[in-house]
Amino acid sequence: MLVGLIFMVLSGLLGWRLVELQIMEPDRYLERGLAQRIHTVTLPAARGAIVDRNGVDLALSVPRQSVVANPGMIDDPAGAAMALAGVLGTDIQVLEERLSSQRSFVYLDRQVDDEIADRAMALDLSGVYTQPESARLRPGDGSALALLGRTDIDNNGISGLELVYDNLLSGTNGEMIVEAGLGGSTIPGGEYRVEPAEQGLSLVLTIDRALQFEAERLLVDGVEAAGGKGGTLVAMSPITGEVLASATVTRGDDEVVRPSTEHKVATWTFEPGSIMKPLTMSAVLETGTAAPDTVREVPGNVFVHDADFKDSFPHGIEEWSVADILRQSSNVGTILWAQDLGEEALYRQLLDYGLGAVTDLGFPGEARGILTPVGKWSGTSLPTIAIGQGVSATPIQMLTAFATLANDGRRPAPTLVRGSLDDGGVFTPIQVAEQIEVVSPGIARSVVSMMEAVVSDGTGTRGQVPGYRIAGKTGTAWKPLAKGGYGEDKDEIRYVASFAGFLPAEAPELVILVVVDEPARKTYSGGRAAAPIFSDYAQFAVRQLRIPSEFERTGLDQVGRVMATTPARASDLQAAEEAALSGIG
Amino acid sequence: MTAVVRPVGGSEVFPDRATRSTAGSRAATGGRPAFGAMGALSVFGFFVALLAMASLHSVLVNGQFEFDSLQDRLEYGQQRSQVLREEVARLESPSRILSAATGRLGMTPPPNRLYLPAVVPGDPLHPLPTPSENPFSLRVR
Repeated sequence: MLVGLIFMVLSGLLGWRLVELQIMEPDRYLERGLAQRIHTVTLPAARGAIVDRNGVDLALSVPRQSVVANPGMIDDPAGAAMALAGVLGTDIQVLEERLSSQRSFVYLDRQVDDEIADRAMALDLSGVYTQPESARLRPGDGSALALLGRTDIDNNGISGLELVYDNLLSGTNGEMIVEAGLGGSTIPGGEYRVEPAEQGLSLVLTIDRALQFEAERLLVDGVEAAGGKGGTLVAMSPITGEVLASATVTRGDDEVVRPSTEHKVATWTFEPGSIMKPLTMSAVLETGTAAPDTVREVPGNVFVHDADFKDSFPHGIEEWSVADILRQSSNVGTILWAQDLGEEALYRQLLDYGLGAVTDLGFPGEARGILTPVGKWSGTSLPTIAIGQGVSATPIQMLTAFATLANDGRRPAPTLVRGSLDDGGVFTPIQVAEQIEVVSPGIARSVVSMMEAVVSDGTGTRGQVPGYRIAGKTGTAWKPLAKGGYGEDKDEIRYVASFAGFLPAEAPELVILVVVDEPARKTYSGGRAAAPIFSDYAQFAVRQLRIPSEFERTGLDQVGRVMATTPARASDLQAAEEAALSGIG
Repeated sequence: MTAVVRPVGGSEVFPDRATRSTAGSRAATGGRPAFGAMGALSVFGFFVALLAMASLHSVLVNGQFEFDSLQDRLEYGQQRSQVLREEVARLESPSRILSAATGRLGMTPPPNRLYLPAVVPGDPLHPLPTPSENPFSLRVR
């Protein structure tokens, strides 16, 4: 009887509990059950690659393993640290500190090679496991590093193009909600929802990997040979404004010249010196102040306001045309014409060339240079600015100005990016700013013609490229000192040597600027320090870009066909064409 | 299976008691196998349905497994493709080729570069000079 009563009470309690669980508060347990089965998995969006103009990978993300630990599950942190130190190559103390932490998750080493991750796992330490991550790699090592920039360990762009186009490259993470069993396998017919990740787009640059590498290599050699402190080399298509190579090198504390991590082509300014003269002379021609063959008397020096300006070589009073003045790079001649031109016209012309304003490059930290408004000019501003002193510009600004001359007077918008490429290979070109006419085509061609003489018979003969007509200008600028001024004696004066030119002069396809910062005294001039680098680089570039030489071009023009033949082949084609035409007739 | 006997000629003849009792007992004994058969059929049907469901579930589980496996393979393939893509780019990079040439292969850069003119050999206008000796000779010409 008693047993029966106890049994009944127990049954009643059990029944009540069942009612409570199943009827009165089922949600709580349903939720708990669902929480055990339903997993939300983040689908990480892969960061898009950065590729060159030919689709070659310059930076891309690859899967890597990170070795992580749950310190709470580790019994012997010291022993585990000792074992892991040999595999991960990390300091034992550091590892032990992490493994003794009170947290439930610590990184031991991030984004390691698969081999290292496998070796760490082979140690079979409880609480130590791997976690998949994505690492950003640059297959070309340090090439174009200043341009490409860097990402942090979590793949966020922190400098260069990685930073500028971070949103485009990053994409958006997706999410997968899945009902899974104990072993992690999906329960058929269970909850399954996928919000796919939007993969980051790939960025297609205007850079050519081979041209970039060669620019860095030749610049390192050239700056080393010139004994310079650093240098930049930047190449552009004058027709499109696309930057084909952009290199900066610098001499380190160890006296070794190597590619810089700063993209000085856009962030560094320098006083251009004589490479400013073609811009000044274009203003002289554009305003009708003179024609290329207008001759005037040019003395050995000229006194303006409180300063005496001289040419780099002594001479008496000469009768030189505008073209002669540019060919000889005469400071005095240029200043005399600039005085006739006037301050306002010179200032307006330089503004139109893009000086004193950031370009359309959109690079972080891009400098605007210094072009003081006319109202603030001193008595010596006109003569100094006319010859490229007292004004500062970035290499990309000066290159764009020369590209304007090469492009029949229309200023192209410099760009580093051609567009983006999605997962399906669909290319979306980037919006490029319209070209601005700075000088008329006729004036631009006149200046180009005068610049040809600089290379064929003037200060820039070392910039010649066999088989090609080159238009260029040398520059040897005094570098302002930190204390102000340019220095009093020879030992104090520092120079910036430069050479800007384009080819083929008759139909420019490539414009190059080489700047060597503080070359040694024996090779301080633009003609000696920078022009040879230009020549070496141009010889490589014309082959890489398949730019036909004058000889090849002439052969082609006879039959009006597009490149890649020889005069012999061209005459064959012409004969065949004539035969075909006579057959029709 | 109850039999109804109808007289020839259309007049209804009622069976006598004996006949009726025989018919009744036949109906009783004939119903038992019928219920048994239905029961058996139901049980059979139930198990067939269970089996079908089990099979369907098995197919479903198998399909899900295949799906999971394919997704894993796809993910692995994508990761592998990225790794290989990086490797190809690294192997093709000019810096690696240069270091391999100057390092492992022991090549040295020439003091001067000589670019060949872009003229087809045999061009009558600008024939290339015929090599007069072994171009790979170390002797300085």
